[in-house]
Amino acid sequence: MKIFYLIKEGFKNIWTNRMMSLASVIVLVSCLIITGAASLISINVTALISKIGDDDQITVYLDYDLDDLRSIKLGSQLNKIKNIDSYSFFSRDDAIKQYKEVLGSIYESMQDDGNPFGNAYKVKLKDLSQYKKTVDEIKRVEGVSSVSDRSDIAGKLTKLNYFVTIVGSWVVLVLALVTLFIISNTIKMTMYSRRYEISIMKSVGATNSFIRVPFIIEAMVIGLVSGLAAASVICSVYMPVRTAAAGIIGFIGDSTFTVEQIILPTFIAMSVTGILIGLIGGFISIARYLKKEGGEIIGW
Amino acid sequence: MIHLENVSKVYNNGIEALKNISLDIDNGEFVFIVGPSGAGKSTFLKLLIREEKATFGKIIVSGYDLMKIRRSKIPYLRRKMGIVFQDFRLIAKMNVYDNVAFAMRVIGSPEKAIKKRVKEVLNLVELDGKEKRKPNEISGGEQQRVSLARALVNKPDMIIADEPTGNIDPDLSFDIMKLLVEINKTGTTVIIVTHEHDLVKEFGGRIITIEDGEIKSDEKYPTKYHEKEADKK
Ligand SMILES: Nc1ncnc2c1ncn2[C@@H]1O[C@H](COP(=O)(O)OP(=O)(O)O)[C@@H](O)[C@H]1O
Ligand SMILES: [Mg+2]
Repeated sequence: MKIFYLIKEGFKNIWTNRMMSLASVIVLVSCLIITGAASLISINVTALISKIGDDDQITVYLDYDLDDLRSIKLGSQLNKIKNIDSYSFFSRDDAIKQYKEVLGSIYESMQDDGNPFGNAYKVKLKDLSQYKKTVDEIKRVEGVSSVSDRSDIAGKLTKLNYFVTIVGSWVVLVLALVTLFIISNTIKMTMYSRRYEISIMKSVGATNSFIRVPFIIEAMVIGLVSGLAAASVICSVYMPVRTAAAGIIGFIGDSTFTVEQIILPTFIAMSVTGILIGLIGGFISIARYLKKEGGEIIGW
Repeated sequence: MIHLENVSKVYNNGIEALKNISLDIDNGEFVFIVGPSGAGKSTFLKLLIREEKATFGKIIVSGYDLMKIRRSKIPYLRRKMGIVFQDFRLIAKMNVYDNVAFAMRVIGSPEKAIKKRVKEVLNLVELDGKEKRKPNEISGGEQQRVSLARALVNKPDMIIADEPTGNIDPDLSFDIMKLLVEINKTGTTVIIVTHEHDLVKEFGGRIITIEDGEIKSDEKYPTKYHEKEADKK
């Protein structure tokens, strides 16, 4: 009964102060969308990197005219190199298949002039610190044309990820502060608009924790509504963006998370974050309001 | 029980509103506090409910040492007292019933107990039938009775009233005073600040005069209302 009363009071607060409530929701939603987008880009890029990167795996390309039999025989040469942990044959047919996958629709638009790839080996090293030395050893094997460079797409993606994380964190931090400011001001204004009631509550012996509850509920509801709104926006934009990205680079299609995979975590994370920001903002302003000693019963 | 010992109150602006006050008020007393405006009467009440903290001295109210009380305990001190203001302090958007029930809700009473008790006190202040009215739909005297009902609803040990009749017609003031006497008869301590000398003369009891922050006189007078009460016993 008591808690229903307090919740009702919390919703009344939102309605009494609806313009400020709406403003806080808008700011909080923007903040959450940017946070969410940055996080989603980051986790997807990380997934891409781990898929492509295979940092400890290098590709050893063989001469284009080396036939399959001689190519397979070459494996025993690789076996002799001590730092090689394992190796597997990667035929020119495998290569073209992967190429089609990676390029997706771009590949379709290219002319099919036979297979441009030679055979190759995927090699795993035991000790990455001897990378350079081992690569040189491999290059000396007859029939090897080149060895893949590590500073490839994975490196670039790692840089991108780093950039997204750093810039994202700063943007999120600034926005979080702005949001805290807006929310605590909203709550401060509601408290101010209800100061007469609060002062009567104080005169009849209401505890600060009781007085606080409706305002905390107000802040939490603003946070929750914002979280749900932000999650809805993110989830509805995610699918078209991902499809568009996959249309350009087919590889993105199966290395990134699907909408179904992100929908629940996004809703949970956004709601929890929204509520937390609401709570913190609410507590800050309420604590400040209730702290003053004396002169609590206004106009007496 | 109220006990003050060498109490002084100096406000931040340097005004010494009370100077070295000492007095005791026993349970069940009926006390008028009189004196010119600016004498320190409201300050005295503010010290009792710990709205202000005394600058020097010792104050004990209902067993709480108000010089040492923790802020978190102040609400519990206030639940032992009902406060009535000159300007009624009703919430305009709430009806009579809710204005009284409010005082019980904010200390977390169950709704069932609230229903029963609010009916009781509204009956005591003779406002039954007006539960659904808003404050602006009733007279000043009635508004003050609502505020009195709100002060009584949590069964306080004492009623503290700061010029309760200052904003209402003289004949209605008389009714408010009679109600306060009735309340006092049930054993509740009643402390009334007023400058309406006619009323004080009419009702008597203990009369404490404060002037310029000091107690000028502190005397007990018999009155017909108290005599009537004595007759009944
Ligand atoms: N909060 C305050 N800050 C500073 N001075 C105050 C405050 N409240 C009252 N005073 C001063 O203290 C004196 C006593 O005031 P008050 O207790 O309200 O008198 P009364 O109720 O007898 O009219 C007055 O001079 C008044 O101006
Ligand atoms: Mg006064």
